[in-house]
This record gives sequence, structure tokens and C-alpha cells, in this order.
Amino acid sequence: MSSVAIPARRSTIRRLRYAAPRVFATLLAFVLAAIWLGPLALMVITSIKPNKEFLNGPFALPIAPNFDAYQKVWEGLNFGVLMQNSLLYATTGSALAVLLALVPAFALSRFEIPGKKYVFALLLTGLILPQQTVLIPLYATLRFLHLLDTRIGLIIVHGVYGMPAQILILRGFMTTIPREIEKAAQIEGATDFQIFTKIILPLSIPGIVVGYTLNFIAIWKEFVFALVFLNSESILPVTVGMLKLNSDRYITAFNLPSAGLVISQIPIVILFILTYRGISSGNFVGSVKG
Amino acid sequence: MASVSLIDIEKRYGAQVVIPKLNLEIADGSFVVLVGPSGCGKTTTLNMIAGLEPITAGQLRIGERDVTDLPPKSRDIAMVFQSYALFPHMNVFDNIAFGMRIRRLSRSEIESQVRGVAERLRIDALLDRKPKALSGGQRQRVALARAMVRRPGVFLMDEPLSNLDAKLRIEARSFLTKMHLEVGTTTVYVTHDQSEAMTMGDTIVLMKDGVIQQAAPPLEVYNEPANMFVAGFIGSPAMNFIELSKAGARLIDPAHGLEFEVSERLRTALEDFRNPKVILGLRPDALRPAPRNAEPKGAPRFTIDVVQHLGHETLLDASRGPHRLVARVSAGDDSKIGEVRAFLADLDKMHLFDPDSGVNLSSRYAQSAIRPDPLGSAV
Repeated sequence: MSSVAIPARRSTIRRLRYAAPRVFATLLAFVLAAIWLGPLALMVITSIKPNKEFLNGPFALPIAPNFDAYQKVWEGLNFGVLMQNSLLYATTGSALAVLLALVPAFALSRFEIPGKKYVFALLLTGLILPQQTVLIPLYATLRFLHLLDTRIGLIIVHGVYGMPAQILILRGFMTTIPREIEKAAQIEGATDFQIFTKIILPLSIPGIVVGYTLNFIAIWKEFVFALVFLNSESILPVTVGMLKLNSDRYITAFNLPSAGLVISQIPIVILFILTYRGISSGNFVGSVKG
Repeated sequence: MASVSLIDIEKRYGAQVVIPKLNLEIADGSFVVLVGPSGCGKTTTLNMIAGLEPITAGQLRIGERDVTDLPPKSRDIAMVFQSYALFPHMNVFDNIAFGMRIRRLSRSEIESQVRGVAERLRIDALLDRKPKALSGGQRQRVALARAMVRRPGVFLMDEPLSNLDAKLRIEARSFLTKMHLEVGTTTVYVTHDQSEAMTMGDTIVLMKDGVIQQAAPPLEVYNEPANMFVAGFIGSPAMNFIELSKAGARLIDPAHGLEFEVSERLRTALEDFRNPKVILGLRPDALRPAPRNAEPKGAPRFTIDVVQHLGHETLLDASRGPHRLVARVSAGDDSKIGEVRAFLADLDKMHLFDPDSGVNLSSRYAQSAIRPDPLGSAV
């Protein structure tokens, strides 16, 4: 170690220089968090304030928090049924999308298919196209199949619409499975189907979980398809069901939609808490390799 | 146990011929090593025997059966991969039992077989572990157990020791050799390491560009290499090659004052050889510096460039003009860098090669009709 005394000033300056970027990053993180969480916080606060209080001061904390809004919304909109429907569409629609995607994803990850590039282009188009562009064709198809205003109809739509994204995610995962493992299974006597079920599927589970979760959240938030393809109140999901609050009677009651929103977010928050560590660990993000 | 016969085997990828006609007989119970540089076709050949690569043309027989078009599971083979290819989501027991479960053997049968092999390979304490909790050597033994438990007719091994560190590799080498002696299954083993090939095989099959350069027992490949490629690949440090001109029964380079006498047994071959130039091949252990006080007149003289003391022996790098050589001498040698010394060559260990084709003039290959083409051909 050096025996030369370093003047105190210099070392403080050095410490500041090292700390500065970190301090800046922390500040930035706080600002971003405030921007993200602000509206959510406002939503929660608004939901437990009586409406008059909100009109007086939107950002003020509630004097006496009450849950009247929650009760009103739950009973008035038959929220239980709405949540059930949303749950149904999200769980089954997502499952269908994943199921449909498994075999194509495997094929794309392994085989040299002529025109593979075009298949990828097609899939990516499926991702980019907004829902509005396929509304009319889907409507016509559902009507032809007598599936308008049915739960099954919407589930099928979600399944098919989510399939391209699932194929891309799963394919990325499957390319990380070493080929030699399949060769070894082949030599051990496994048929192609057995290789798929006993080797590929178990090893793809992380990818399936990621894909399913993302699709679940997407369907839960989904509005357009449900709005256009469903009519009967009993089968509406939360997103469309809450439209009732837009009618003249309720439009000024800010606490009601806030309460509705808070309730509808709870399953998503739970799901996210359960799975976020897996998704954010990074090695699950399937990259699309040409 | 079964023999393996490759008859006129060809492998083509589209228009590109990777392996022109290949013929090889692997005797029942033998340990055959396919060795060669990267891209020589050894792994492709192994994969064709396994059924993982389709055979473009020719016939493959295992035992008495024509298996050319059969899938891997019908060929009665087992394979150990370089990366072991263990199933990461299963524990050791399930990995070993995989094949038997596919074939729906009874639980008790599977239990006893798996434990039996595991005990033999000393991995019975690891049966509950998953591959990621195992060391490299342990994983290798699990891969071996998985192959052995099926009691196949042929073992196929694709560089199974490449992923092990040097010390473990030597242990594993003798382990595999002992296993072969005990179990006696026909084994086809691929490696790029020539010392592995020498120490493990009954027969070495040296390949280059898809063509077999020589297929013979290790000592024969070492002492009677068919051509320059074989001579230079097998043996470490590599054989020295010195290009010289014919002068009766001597080989000379007058420009640099080099003169080598050719032994009796090579004189006829040398005489019959038309080309005025010949390549002299001498292994490092066939050369040594003459004692300083007894240098024969006319002995070739080289300048010492580098002296490497290995402890048990010493390697001398020497040169003369464009000619370079490496000599392996006793540890007591006291040559100094820059010193010029006369070298003695062991006449019995001399080889002569055709500078154009690389063929060894002194071996029977020069005379036989089956001349391995060391330059390889893609036709």
C-alpha cells in the first residue's frame, strides 16, 4: 500500500464522481415510478373517496375512506359475473393460443422448411396488425359459424389471434434445447411423438409459462373483440361490462369506475407477483432468430 | 455383439460430395477409432452408422442385417455424445432408464438393470441427482451407463472425452479401455486426438476429406504410415519431413551440404522411383546429435535453434537453410542454442515419400493397387 498520504479533498471528489451516476439513476427511477404508479394511486384513492369529495379535490387523500363505491359497482354491474367471464376468456383463450402454437413452434425451431422466411414474415404480420383490421372478416366468419354472441366464439378468436405471438415466443425457447438431446432420445427408441411429449414439452415449460402469462394479461385487458362479438350481458367480460358506467346516469360518478378498475386489476397483480421473477430473469425472453 | 460393414458408402449434401466411396470392415468385438482433423468426415460416418444421417449411397450392415434404411432404434446400437446429451429435466435413474421405459420393460427389470450398471460405473449414489448437479466426469459415466444398459451390438462414441479436463481425460481413457476389455462390445470411437486414437484402439482409421488414409493397428500406423498425412498426424512431436534429391543410394541437398545415407531395405524402392526429388521422413526419436568427439564425416549438420527440457527428455529444434527438424533426445543432452551439431539418423526408422502424391515409397502401399489419395478428392 502506498505510504503517500492522499489529501482528503481528492478522495471525496473521487467518491462523488463514482456516486453521481448511481444517484442520478436512482432519482430517475423514482421519477419514472411516480409517473407509472401515480395514476394507479389516484385510481385507488378515488375509489375510496365519496364522489363529492373527489370533485372538490381530485388529488387529496380521503378524509374517511369508505368502500361504498365497491359495493355499488359489484351489485350494480353484477361484477361477479363479469369477473368470471373475464377469467374464463383469459384462461381458456390463452391456453388455446399456446396449444395451437406448440407444434408449429417446434417445427420452426427444428426443420429447414422451404419458405421459412415467408412464414416468419406472416407471423410477424399477425403480430403487427391491429384488431380493427380483422374485425370485419372475423365478424363475418363468426356469423357464418353461428358463433356470434357466444363464449366459445370469443375464446376461439382469442386463441387464434394470440397464436402468432405464442409461436414466436415458444420457437425462441425451443431453439435453446440442444439438438443432441433429441438425437439421444431417437437412439433410445423414442418416436417423434414421444420425443415431443417427453423431452421437448417438459423442457419448454418456462417458455409456455411466459407465453401463457403474457397472453392472459392481453386477453384480460382486451376490449374490441368482446365489444363487437358479444351482446348478451351474461357473457360480457369486465372491460365491456364497465361501459355501462359511461351512460349519462353514472358518467360523473368517478368513484364507481375507479372501484371497478381496482377490482379488475387484482387478478392481474396476483398473477404478476407470482410470475414476474421468472419473466424478468431475462433468459426466458425468446429472441426471434432468423 | 456385432460386426459393422460399410460397403461403398457415399455421403452427399446436394451436389457436394462429403464422403466419396468408403469401405470399412469393423470386426465383431473390436475397438475401432475414427480419427482425423476437423471436417474429415469421421463424425458424419459415425452418424451414418447410427442412423442420424441418411446414407446417400451404399450399404451398411450391422451383424448380418442390412440396416441401411432402418431408423436408429432398430439398429441395435447405443451412442455416447460429446456433450453427453443427458436429459436435463430427469434425474440420473430416469436418464438411464429412458430407453427401457420406451420399450415398456417391467419396473423390476428396469430397477435391477439400472442399479446394476450404476454400481458398475460407480454412480449408484447419484441416481437421484439431476445432470446439473453432476461433475463432468460423472455426467460422462451417466451417458455411458445409459448406453451400456441396453446391451447393444455396437457402441458408438462421438468424442466423449473432449469435454473433460486433461487429468480426467487420461483416467477416463483407461476406464473406457477396461470397460471394453470386460464387456467386449464392438465400439466405434471418434476423436480428433491422435494420442487417444493410439492408446485406445485395436484399429485406427485415419480420415481426411472423407477418404480413409489408412486403417490399421496403432503400431502399424505409427511405424508404417501409408502416406505423409498419416505420418504427420500420428505421433507427437510430428515426423520431420526433409525434401532432398536422389543421388544413387544417398539423399542429398548440395546447396546446404546435407547428405543422408539410405538403408538397405529402402534402396530398391528408391531406385525404382522416377522422381529426382524425394521426401525423407524421420520421427524425432530417430534422430540424435552425434557425440562431439566422434562426428562421422559427411553426417548432416544442423544449427540448434531451441532447446526444450521436459525433464524426462529434451526436444531440440534445429534448422539448416530451409530444412527444419525436431529431435527427441535424452535429458542429459547439453546442446546449446546456436551450436552446430552433426546428426545421426536411425536407418531402420527412415521413411521415403513421394513429394507429389505423399505416398510412402517404402510401404506396401506404394505397390498395391489400392492407393489412398492423400490429397482427397471431391469427385
